[in-house]
Parts: sequence; C-alpha cells; structure tokens
Amino acid sequence: MRRTGLALAFLLSACTSTPDRETAPEPDGFWTGPMGGPVPATIEGGTVIDTATLAALISEHDPVLVDVGPTPHKPDNIAAEAWVPPPHRTVPGSVWLPGAGAGELAPERDAWYRGWLSKLTGGNQATPLVVFCHPDCWGSWNAARRAILYGYTDVQWYEEGIEGWQDAGHETQAVQPKLPPP
Amino acid sequence: MLKSILAIALIGAFAAPALADEEAERQAHWAELKQAVFGERPTVDAAGLIALEAPKRALDAALVPITVTTKPGADIIGVTVVIDDNPGPLAARVTYGPRGDPSLLALRVRVNQYTYMHAVAETADGALHETAQFVKAAGGCSAPVGAGEAESLAQIGRMKLRLGEVVAGKPVEAQLLIRHPNFNGMQMDQVTRLYTPMKFVQQVEITLNGERVLAMESDISLATDPAIGFRFVPRAEDLPGKLKVTVRDSDNTVFEESFDVPASGS
Repeated sequence: MRRTGLALAFLLSACTSTPDRETAPEPDGFWTGPMGGPVPATIEGGTVIDTATLAALISEHDPVLVDVGPTPHKPDNIAAEAWVPPPHRTVPGSVWLPGAGAGELAPERDAWYRGWLSKLTGGNQATPLVVFCHPDCWGSWNAARRAILYGYTDVQWYEEGIEGWQDAGHETQAVQPKLPPP
Repeated sequence: MLKSILAIALIGAFAAPALADEEAERQAHWAELKQAVFGERPTVDAAGLIALEAPKRALDAALVPITVTTKPGADIIGVTVVIDDNPGPLAARVTYGPRGDPSLLALRVRVNQYTYMHAVAETADGALHETAQFVKAAGGCSAPVGAGEAESLAQIGRMKLRLGEVVAGKPVEAQLLIRHPNFNGMQMDQVTRLYTPMKFVQQVEITLNGERVLAMESDISLATDPAIGFRFVPRAEDLPGKLKVTVRDSDNTVFEESFDVPASGS
C-alpha cells in the first residue's frame, strides 16, 4: 500500500513539467506576492524557452545567462557550525545575481542589476539574455520583465530553471553570488 | 571551522576547468562535510551493512520520507544522516542504547536542492560505514509557513506512538509523531513577509523503563511534526512497561510523554 503510494508519487511528480500545469496571468508591472507558485506561461516583450532551446542557444549564440535564485536566508541565532550554505549550482557560465527578481527593487539595487546587465552584454541591448531561477518562481519572471523594461530586445525567460536543467541531465557548476548592495 | 573548510572547498571548485565536473564537486563537498562531522575518521563503503531509501524524486520537498535500514545483528551503535546540500546538513545523529535496535530509522526531512543524502552507521569497533542516495527535490527548506504549522504550534509537544506487535525478546516496531512546527528560520510568513524565527526539535531521548532505546540530536532539516520510526527490544522483565519520550527544542523547552507497552500483542 505504502509502496503503491510512493509509485503514485513518482508518477505524479513526473507530470509536473507537462504543459497542462497551472499558470497565472501576467501581472501589470511586477509580481509582489509570494515568490513561489504558479507563474505565467508568457512574458510580454520576451520569449519563454524550454531546456532544449536553452541548450541549443548556449552552443550556438553564447547568450548572457543570469541566475536570479535567492541566497538561503540564514536563520537568526543559528549556531555557527550548524550553518553551511550549500554550493549554489547553476547552468555553467551563468552569473548569479540573487535578489534581482524581487517584486520591488530599491533604487540602489535597481542600479546594481542594470549595471550588471550592461556589463555582461557589453552595452549591446540586442544580446541574447537568458534569465532563470527555479520552476514556479516569480523571481525570474520579474527579473526578465525588468530587463525588457530596461530596453533589452532579446530576453529569454527560462522558466524551468536550474531544476529543469538538471532534470534534462545537464551538468551544473557551483558559483559565488554577485551580491546586491544592502 | 566548518565555514573555512567550506571556503577552501569552494575555492577548489572555482579552480576547476570551465566545464565543472559536477560529480567531483559533489564528492568534494561530502568529503568536507564528513570531516566536519566525523573529523579525520575514515569511512568505508556500507557493503550491505546500511542502506538508505529515499524517493529519487520527491513530490513535497518539505516532507521527504527517508528510511535507513541496517543489517540485523550488526553491532551498530549509532546512525547519522547528512543532507549534503541543505544549509543545515546534519539532519540527525542517533545513538542507540541497550534497549534499542538500529535495524530501522525512518524520518521525514526537508530538502533544499537536488542533493546527495548520506547515511553513516558507526559500529562498536569505531568503524564508519557510509551509503548515499541522490534525491531530486528542491525548495523544502524555504517552503512558506502555512496553516499546518499554526496547528502544530497550537498543539506543540503532543505526541503519538504507534506500536507494532510486542513480543519479549523481539524487535518491536514503533512510530513516534511529535507535534512541533520545527521552524528552521528560513521560512517566510506569507502574510507578514517576515521570517519566522527558528524553533526546532534538537534532542529526542527514548527510554524503556529508564533504559535507553535511542537518543537523537537533530537540526533544522527535520520536517514539520517530526516523525521517528524505530525499533526497540523489550526483555520479558520489561513487560508490561513504559516507553518514555523526552524532547528538547532549540528554545530549551522540554516535552515529555510516557506510553504503555503491553505485555504482549499490539
């Protein structure tokens, strides 16, 4: 019985990446609600890409890859020896800009994100730009939308994120964050 | 200390060629964690002495059931569970007493990102036997606090025990459920948008008529409402008896409960 339940769980989870899963409408501006949950199937002004498209894009067009996944929140009062921030594993070649997908960005952080995109694209706003974090995470939608509003013309939102990349059997690389101003 | 070790490990990872060798990186991370937990003591491959069962892909990363089994009759004095890529990797450290039976340990854990999990058995001769399982689950550590946690908080410290068949001299299967939100300090309250302060079960001691079955030290990786599946072996003179559970959480709050163990049956 327990085994059947487990088998069923496997089947159900295998279905989570099928296209018929729950989606949300695109918000006006940015999403300021909880970061996890159903996300839109589209992004106005940009393109939604899947893992196969990303893999092809990487091998053919050398896009700028931006991972906006959050850093783990260190609990207050945790014993120093108990806290080991895990390696942040991402699509090889990505630059990790945690916090760039927040619903609201303070001006200093907005300038930080804008500055990084400008640096990474060499100031060429037509550079293919891929933005991602985790599946069902609004952070990457917000950050991609932000890039579109900055004027980038080839923004690809990779919604499946790092787990989608791993599920397809691709390697990851551990990277350090480029931290935003406090 | 663990941090500086980790920093060295990370620097090592960056020195790697552009195409990261992920598997080597993961093994290096485990090696550093192992040193932090067990010091310089070497480990050997489990070779059938200990096995770790976990879903290869978990539906709910905040509630991943894992089962550690060890070879019956092996002289095991303790079992440690490490979730390599959790920010608090040491999930549980169990030490068995004279009434304990290490052949089974079932827990429910949170998983932060796709990771190896390790189970390590320590035998009486001091040897460490390790086994691993790769688990695809993500987001379990920062999963938001919901209604379930509020209910757990309201009933904090309540316990339930389910017993299998009781026969003197034979391992008795037991399932302990402890009501406790087990806040890990990484969960955001979706209404207030604040992080709920850490409050988690840190120690569990289980005795039969005053003699230890097991003692467990745990950290922020255990799921809400910690559940422990275990076995104990009552002698004829222990029955009927009392199984006593003492739980201490990170705020030093202590919860105690005693359960009757019948002379026989279930």
